[in-house]
Amino acid sequence: MMASPFAGMLQTLSRQRGVTAALVVSEQDGIVIDGNLHIGLAEDRVAALAASLYRKARLSARAAGMGAVSFMQLEAPVGRICAVGSGELVLVVVAKTAVNVGMVRVEMLRAISELAVIARGAER
Amino acid sequence: MADEITRMSEELARDPGSRVFVPLGDALRRQGQTDLALKVALRGLERHPHFADGHDLLARISADRGELERAFDEWDMVLRLAPAHLGALKGMGFLCFHGGRFADAERYLAAAATADPLDRELASALEHLREQRATPPRAPASVVPASLAKDSRYLFADVLNEEGQTALLLDSQGFVLAGAYYDADGTDVGQDIGAELSGVTDAARRATRHLAMGDWTSIIFETEVAVVAMAPAGQDGLLLLATSRATPLGLVRRLSDRCAARAAAWLGGGV
Repeated sequence: MMASPFAGMLQTLSRQRGVTAALVVSEQDGIVIDGNLHIGLAEDRVAALAASLYRKARLSARAAGMGAVSFMQLEAPVGRICAVGSGELVLVVVAKTAVNVGMVRVEMLRAISELAVIARGAER
Repeated sequence: MADEITRMSEELARDPGSRVFVPLGDALRRQGQTDLALKVALRGLERHPHFADGHDLLARISADRGELERAFDEWDMVLRLAPAHLGALKGMGFLCFHGGRFADAERYLAAAATADPLDRELASALEHLREQRATPPRAPASVVPASLAKDSRYLFADVLNEEGQTALLLDSQGFVLAGAYYDADGTDVGQDIGAELSGVTDAARRATRHLAMGDWTSIIFETEVAVVAMAPAGQDGLLLLATSRATPLGLVRRLSDRCAARAAAWLGGGV
């Protein structure tokens, strides 16, 4: 079976301690394109909601003239959702509170350039 | 009906991947067997997670069970998969109306009426909704003390005293309650930002609930020129703080906390 073009970056992110899921999602329709975990209904919904949040952040930043959104994180008492986007794709990471969010941020921003290259390749 | 259910059950037993789970689940739902209908829908969706009609079925079952938030999520999913799905447009219209979000209800029902112009019941519901909206509303029970309403744009002025720092307090619909955001041309774009952020609170709440993370406490995003922090405010509102990119993240959090405290006091009439 051929590995997905996102498999490498998803595995790298999943290796971070405290990361429970890493997913590539379509920003437009919230559909999961690839993920390192079994995708059940809850993960599908969370991916769609995270993509929706990222989209809202991006559009509000545009309305405010703030430029492109690079990194977004949602915090809750027992977990975090992080997202970065490139074109139509959003990379979503779900993590525990104790995760090293600085490290995850660096890895996600590194992955986003790779995501852009893959997305451009897919368009051709 | 019972024969039909038996026939569809047998078909599904022979071919578990069959999409007959949708009419079967719906038939069970109509008979009031919502527990069984729910099992059928969930099993079907395990095999067909991107099948719009399957999510529509789960939404209808959830609505019948009074689980309106889940119904909303499922119809939301249907519209992502099939933006013109008639059942989901009607369902969302119903849920928004039920929740008092009349503008959204009208938008969904109008889209449904366009998709099915011969549905008289739908046309009548839409007409009724529009009549209601055309009636001048009574002044809502304002959360803003009258004596402070005039100055609400400056609510955060003494909390934020550095250039490039600004804050907005938005209500549950994304309307600006207090604060202002001026763009580079000096235009207040607070309302535009609020419109784009409408629904953030709801989406954040649902995401954290699905993951059993507890209620969300903040969303921070970085842009090319700014760091933006959002936090839940009273009455399903949203507090938004924007600072320059150079502001340390710890200070952003502290400023956000101060603005949130100021907003809470103001909403409570204590400022």
